[in-house]
Amino acid sequence: MIRACAARARRADTRALGLYAALALLVLGFSLASPAFRSAENLSLVLRQVSVNGILAVGMTFAVLSAGIDLSVGSLLAVAGLVSALLAQREPGALGIALALGAPCAVGVLGGLVNGGIVAYTRVSPLIVTLGTLTAYRGFAVWFRVNPVYELQPWYRELGRLELGPLPLPALVFFGCAALASLVLSRTRFGRHVYAVGGNEAAARAAGIDVARVKLAVYAISGFCAGLAALVLTARLGAAQSVAGQGFELQAIAAVVVGGASLFGGRGRIRDSVAGALLIGVLFNGLVLLDVPSPVQQMLIGAIIVGAVWMDAALRGRDDR
Amino acid sequence: MTAREVASERGAIAELVRLGKSFRGIPALRDVDLALRAGEVHAWVGENGAGKSTLARVLAGLHPDYSGEIRIAGRPVRLASPAVATARGIALVQQEPQLVPELSVCENICLGREPRSRVLRLLERGVMRRRAAALLAGLGSALDPDARVAGLAPGARQLVEIAKGLAAEPRLLLFDEPSASLSQREVADLLARVRALRARGTGVVYVSHRLDEVFALADRISVLRDGALVASAPRGDWDEASLLHAMVGRALAPRRDRARAGPAAPLLRVSGLGRRGAFEDLHFELRRGEILGLAGLAGAGRSSILRSLFGLAPAERGSLAIDGAPARIARPGDALRHGISFVPEDRQREGLIPELSARENIALLGRAGAPRRAWIDAPRERAEVAAVAARVGLPPELGERQVRRLSGGNQQKVLLARALLQQPRLILLDEPTHAIDVAAKAEIHARILELAAAGTAVLLASSELPELLALCDRILVLRAGGVVAELAGDRADERALLAAASGSALARAAS
Repeated sequence: MIRACAARARRADTRALGLYAALALLVLGFSLASPAFRSAENLSLVLRQVSVNGILAVGMTFAVLSAGIDLSVGSLLAVAGLVSALLAQREPGALGIALALGAPCAVGVLGGLVNGGIVAYTRVSPLIVTLGTLTAYRGFAVWFRVNPVYELQPWYRELGRLELGPLPLPALVFFGCAALASLVLSRTRFGRHVYAVGGNEAAARAAGIDVARVKLAVYAISGFCAGLAALVLTARLGAAQSVAGQGFELQAIAAVVVGGASLFGGRGRIRDSVAGALLIGVLFNGLVLLDVPSPVQQMLIGAIIVGAVWMDAALRGRDDR
Repeated sequence: MTAREVASERGAIAELVRLGKSFRGIPALRDVDLALRAGEVHAWVGENGAGKSTLARVLAGLHPDYSGEIRIAGRPVRLASPAVATARGIALVQQEPQLVPELSVCENICLGREPRSRVLRLLERGVMRRRAAALLAGLGSALDPDARVAGLAPGARQLVEIAKGLAAEPRLLLFDEPSASLSQREVADLLARVRALRARGTGVVYVSHRLDEVFALADRISVLRDGALVASAPRGDWDEASLLHAMVGRALAPRRDRARAGPAAPLLRVSGLGRRGAFEDLHFELRRGEILGLAGLAGAGRSSILRSLFGLAPAERGSLAIDGAPARIARPGDALRHGISFVPEDRQREGLIPELSARENIALLGRAGAPRRAWIDAPRERAEVAAVAARVGLPPELGERQVRRLSGGNQQKVLLARALLQQPRLILLDEPTHAIDVAAKAEIHARILELAAAGTAVLLASSELPELLALCDRILVLRAGGVVAELAGDRADERALLAAASGSALARAAS
C-alpha cells in the first residue's frame, strides 16, 4: 500500500512540481532582471493584485471540479462591490462594519444559489446558465448604480492597505480562503462528493449522492468567493463601480487550468490553482516592469496558458500509456 | 481452383511473431506467436489482464508502440494507426462500444465509410439507413437506424458496435467480449452471424469469458496468461476442465451446493409495482438470507426493477413494505435509509469515479450508521475500508490505486465493497460478474453466498443463466416487464429458464 501510495504521490507531484518550479524560476528570473521587481513594495503589490483573482480561482476550482464552470463571477463581483461600498459610506458602528463586510459575501452566496439552483434542477449546462447570469448580473449592477461609489469610510479603505508582518491583508484573506477550501476538498465528505460528481455524475447518483445539493453548494461557494473578492477589491481601490470585474471570470479560469485542473471535472487541487493564479500574476507584473508592451504581454500570457495546459496533458498522456 | 490456391485461401491472414507490448515498463504481452487464418474462428481466452484485449488492440492499430513483427498475407506490416489496420482489412469490435452518442445508429455504423452521391459528394442518407438496417437485420435486430445512440441500452449499443465492425467488410474481424451485454437470443444471432462470416472466408478472432460460446463457435482456442501464450490447439483437443486449468494455472475448486435459505420472515414485499414502459404489476416477496434471481432477455425489465427499488427511476404505481412497514422510495437516499444498497450493471458509466482511488470510491458515502460528521476521520476510514475490502477479497495494496487502473474484477469488488460498507439488509446486484474473469467471478459468487448466509437479502439480476442457477433460491423470469414464471432454484434448469424468458410453448408447460 505504501509503495502504491508513493507512486501515486510521485505522479501527481511531477506535474505540480513542474508548476511550482516554473513559478520559482519566474520569480528568480524577474528578480535578477529587474531590481524594481524584487523590492518589498512591489512584491506586496503583486500579492495584493493576485489576491482578487486568486480568491475567484478558489471558487472557480469548486465549479470546475464538479464538471461545471462559473462565468458569472466577474459580474457578481461588481454587484457585491457596489453593495459593500454603499454600506461602507456610512458612519462606522459595529453593525455598519458587520454589514459592510458581511453583505457582499451574502450577495455573492445569493447570486451563486441562483446559478446553482438552475444548474442543479434544470438540464441547462453550467456554461449556458452562468453565461446568462454573467449578462444578467452585470445588467443588475448597472441598473442598481450607474455611477461609481466612492468616499468610503477610512476604516474600510485601510483594510485594503493593511499589512500584517510581511503580508498585506488581502493576501492573508486569499491564503486563508485557499487553506480552508483545500481542507474542505480533501478532508470532508462534501469535498469528496464534489470530486465524485465531477468525475462521474451518473455513478455519483447511483451511489446515492444527492448530486443536486452538491451542485447547489458548489455554486454558492463560487458566489461567496466572488463576494469576498469584491470586498478585497473595493477596499483596495476605495471605490466600486458597476463595470468592475469585467473579464475576471476568464482570468480565474486561466489560473485554474494552468494549475492543472481538468475542465471535464474530477481532477484538480486548490493549491495548484493558487500556484496558477500566482504564476499569471507574477508574469503580468514582471512583464510590466520589464517594459514589455501591453499587447506583447497579452500574446505571451495567452501562449503560456495554452503551453502550460498542453504540457500538463502531455505528461498525463505519458502517464496513462 | 487449384490445390495451391485453396491452400493460400485457407492460409494465414495475419501472423504475429514474438509480439510484445509494455505499459510504462510493465509487460502486457510477451513474445506472442500466433497465426490467424482465413475461414477460421480463433477464440482467445484467459483471465482479465491476461492480455487478450491488448493483443486485439495492437492488431487494430491502437497500440502502435508494440515490439515484434506482424505479417499480413506474408508481408511484414507496421500497424501504426487504426487507419493502417483498416486499410489492411482488420476491424475490431471493442468490448466498450466506441460510438458517437449524439449520432444516429446508421451514422455510427457508416462512420468513416459514409456513402456519398456522385455529384457534390453529399451524404446519401437513404443508402446509409438501408445498409445499417440490413446489417442489423443480419444480427436479428430490428433497431431503428435513425435512433440516437445516446438513448440505447448497453445491449443495443453492443449490436451497433458489432454492425459497425461488419460494415467494414474486413478480412480479419476481432470481437472483444461481444456478448457481454447481449441477451441469450441476441447471442444466438451473433453466433450465427460469425459462422456465416467464417463460411465466407473471413478470419475471426473471438475473445470471450463465456466458455459455452467459445466451445460452440471456435475452430481453434488459444489461452493467454499474464501476457504470454500458454497454449493454442484445435477445439477438439480441449475440454472445459483443461481450458480452465490452462487459464488460471490451477484447478478450480468444485462448486459446493449451498444450504437452502430457511423460512425467515419476509424483508421486502412488493405489491403491484409498476413503471410505465419498464415493468407492470409486480408482486413478490424476499426473505432475509434469500437470494432471489431476476432472469429474462435484455429489455425484459430486470435492471428497471432494481433501479426503481433503489430510487433511481422510482416506481409510479404499487407499494412496498420493508420489514412489514410501508416504505416509499423516491430517491437513492430513501433506499439507503431503509438499508438497501445497489451495485449497478455498468461499472464505467454508473459505478466508478475513475480519478479517485479504490479507497475513496468505497468510502464515497461513509459507513452507514456512523455519526454523520462533515470531516472525514482518515484513520477510521482506512480501517473501515480495509475491513470491507478484505471481506470482498480486494487485495489491500490496491486501496490507494486509482480505480481506473484496476482490472474489471477488482473494480467490481470495489463496487461490492462500497455497497457492503452501508451494511445493507437488502442488496441489489445488477449483472455483478459482467465481463470479469473466471477466477474473480467465482470469488464474487462466493461472497454473494456468504452475504446471504449472514442474513442479507439479495436480489440478483443476471443475463447468465448458470450464474442464476448456481446462486439463487428462487428465480423470477421476466418478459416484457412482467413476471411470467417463478422457479425454485433447485428445480430450474437452463432450458426451462430460457424457454420461459423467450415465451416458447415449453414455458407455458412449466408455469
